[in-house]
Amino acid sequence: MSAPPGPDVIPLASGPATPVIVANDLRYTYDRRHYALDGVSFRVHRGEVFGLLGRNGAGKSTLIKAMTTLIRPTSGTLTVLGFDPARDGARIRERIGVVQQGESFDFTTVQGNLDIYGVLWGLPKPERVRRRELLLERFGLGEVRRKRAFDLSGGQKRRVQVAREFMHDMDVLFLDEPTVGLDVIMRRTLLDSVRDEVRRGLTVVFTTHNLEEADYLCDRVAVIDEGKILMQDTLENLKRLYGGKKTVDLTVAGADPAAFYRRLGERLGPRVSLTAQGTTAVLLTDDTKTALSEIAELARSLGVQLEWLNVRTNTLEDVFLRSVGHREDRG
Amino acid sequence: MKVPNILRLVYRNILVNVDPGSMMILVGLPGLYLIFFGYGFQALGSGGTGGASYLAYLTPGIMAFQSVMAGTTGGSMLWADRRWGMLSQLLMGPYTRLQYLLGIMLTSLLFGLVGALVMLGIAIALLSVVPVGLGPLAVMLGTITLGSIFFGALMLLLSALVKSNTAYNSIQIMLIFVVNFASTVFYPLSRGLPLPLQVLFRINPLTYIADAVRGAYLGNFTATDGLQLVVLAVETVVALFLATRAYLRSDVSFE
Repeated sequence: MSAPPGPDVIPLASGPATPVIVANDLRYTYDRRHYALDGVSFRVHRGEVFGLLGRNGAGKSTLIKAMTTLIRPTSGTLTVLGFDPARDGARIRERIGVVQQGESFDFTTVQGNLDIYGVLWGLPKPERVRRRELLLERFGLGEVRRKRAFDLSGGQKRRVQVAREFMHDMDVLFLDEPTVGLDVIMRRTLLDSVRDEVRRGLTVVFTTHNLEEADYLCDRVAVIDEGKILMQDTLENLKRLYGGKKTVDLTVAGADPAAFYRRLGERLGPRVSLTAQGTTAVLLTDDTKTALSEIAELARSLGVQLEWLNVRTNTLEDVFLRSVGHREDRG
Repeated sequence: MKVPNILRLVYRNILVNVDPGSMMILVGLPGLYLIFFGYGFQALGSGGTGGASYLAYLTPGIMAFQSVMAGTTGGSMLWADRRWGMLSQLLMGPYTRLQYLLGIMLTSLLFGLVGALVMLGIAIALLSVVPVGLGPLAVMLGTITLGSIFFGALMLLLSALVKSNTAYNSIQIMLIFVVNFASTVFYPLSRGLPLPLQVLFRINPLTYIADAVRGAYLGNFTATDGLQLVVLAVETVVALFLATRAYLRSDVSFE
């Protein structure tokens, strides 16, 4: 039997700034040579949606496994809801919900899957039925309630998995790519459902490839690649990463685009980041007006035609691509 | 009142596994063995059965066989949970690995005992086999309990170690065949058998189970039967240890 909660244990009614997950220098290796997690540190606060962004194999799912007590980190410290997963895994698992990336169903109907989950979480029958009916309706599963979960379409299966997790109360919900296979309307319904729960105090750790939905849902994100966190901050701060710079996309036609971009780089100086490939280039600048007049003047003087010019505000995708891209450049 | 975790898991296992297909394998197959073999071989007389009719000889054998069926049910449950992602889902829920393991063992044990009673019921109702008293019945069910735990542990060990579904199913079918037919479930050990087969008969745990269940049923439980049960108990402890260790170390990961 575990000890009763100590002073470090996070009570249910903690304030919004209370960290519910604290990771310091987490490492995890499968074979003592390759690190799936390589010195990961971060905090997730109560009531926020924390996004983990990264490519396939970046370490997102390994991190989720560590936080949900499935694997034990090789070194570093980790607490979830004030508990150490290695010692008090059961106490953590009583207060979390997990939607796995892969399918996970009992070989029975949709309704049966929700019912069984209610049984597993110890819900009394009336409450089980009430929640089941509510969730079947909220996630648009009423019509398929008597179908076997394995016979559903990919999107319907995903909805069942997410709906099922709301059968029980929890303090932290881990969503590992929950919207894969969902159509636009259902994706929004799901994200809105998560938002509703967050307003009631739920903390969410969310992994995704879809940066639009991370933008929609997350308060803070961490970009993870090759087991390392490259950057983490609020979405606003990350978008201001380059001091409020804007992105200029540019495509030219003419005799020597490379010479044009080289001259343009020299004229704009080090305050503008310019990445060119063939006839296209991407510029990052905090002085769009000057950059545009320089582009126009140089194009005129070199006889280069401007085929495409677009100025846009930074998106989360830009932040992601730049952080991962810079890493590849260094590598 | 809060229901203990293990009982919740047992309830869930029953809900998930009580489907017509599983029941056909668990009860239908041994039932058909009992009816077809019972009627088919009854006419051959009672040579080597210690004077009992072949049906009276076969009934406790088939009841003992339920311990193997219980074991395969347990292994299949673990395999299916891992295959369909429910093992990792449950282990990220309010359950420990040990509770999950005990939940499976208890469910398969329950299936084994109920299956044995169903076999006895079929034998009494359809084949006019003599009912058994409560005392011998307790010994029979106790032996089947021990046997179910042994085969449950063996199958859990197998499902923890084997990574391919095809390999698991092939090994399971082969194991059931060998364990079943190289035992005294269907026929007594014949001195005419080649020596390797005689050895296989003698070291097969199902022989110990079948002999003990039959001894209790026919009222001639011997010291040898008792000794065999002691050996079976030791083997069960070893199998349980190995299965638990393999399972606790096995990967339950999801992607």
